[in-house]
Amino acid sequence: MRESFGNMGDVTGFDSQRWIDEHGDALYRFALVRVRDANAAEDLVQETFLAALQGARRESGEAAERRWMIGIIKHKIVDHFRRMAREPLREDHPANLPAADGDFIADGHWNPEGAAIHGWPDKPDELLERKQFWDTLAVCLDKLPPRTAQVFTLREMDEMDTDEICRLLCLTHTNLGVMLYRARKQLRNCLSVHYFGQAEEGTPL
Amino acid sequence: MSWLAHLFPTCQEMSRLLSDTMDRRLPWHVRMRIRIHLRMCEVCKGYHHQLILLRSLLRRSPAQHSKQGSTRQAGLSAEAKERIRRALDSSHS
Repeated sequence: MRESFGNMGDVTGFDSQRWIDEHGDALYRFALVRVRDANAAEDLVQETFLAALQGARRESGEAAERRWMIGIIKHKIVDHFRRMAREPLREDHPANLPAADGDFIADGHWNPEGAAIHGWPDKPDELLERKQFWDTLAVCLDKLPPRTAQVFTLREMDEMDTDEICRLLCLTHTNLGVMLYRARKQLRNCLSVHYFGQAEEGTPL
Repeated sequence: MSWLAHLFPTCQEMSRLLSDTMDRRLPWHVRMRIRIHLRMCEVCKGYHHQLILLRSLLRRSPAQHSKQGSTRQAGLSAEAKERIRRALDSSHS
């Protein structure tokens, strides 16, 4: 094994081991929840560090360094999505509203048997610290079709506007609208059943 | 009756419109129809609230999901760390 401290005293003060220890896991999890592929997430972390090595950073401090690297990995993730967009997946080819949607009955009313509105809190605060909630959310995100999950995370987690997403991933606004619509409804249903509805139904994941 | 159907979207149509409102500003007459429906329909009102809640949770912090230690997403493996370190060192030297 090569001695990693060899780099500590050089002019740039670069220490690969410190970067990996301080930011590796956080960047990996940031990427994993978005790309949902462990190998791809590892590669993205490596690409991010390599890009960071090339760039000059003005701010100092661990938090600023983390923000800087998160900024880089966001771009790397979009590049990854674009590479994937060249291989279309049939499973979530965006079409119009499906004729049969189990959430609604024939006249367009909500299916009374469907996932309900009960059990959801008024405010997000009480959920933020609940590990079980985030675990359930991760499982529910995993269940979305891959392309749908990509656009959903870009829109809802990374606050990218729809024009930008359409441009980057070569989607029409109509297709994007359908994908976001489905993602939101599916995620809401999944959380209703597996997290908020647990008190009454106790459905295990 | 078609003008009436147009004036009063069904809940299924509402679910799509409510999703659209999360992404862009809809024309005023559509917003008006949405508002009328929401005033009458508890389920759609609840659904709208759920979409907003979901967004505020997902946006609370970009690092939220990396901080919340989930057992399924522990972190980089030792092998991956070693591989990345070697790649960094060889690129830097």
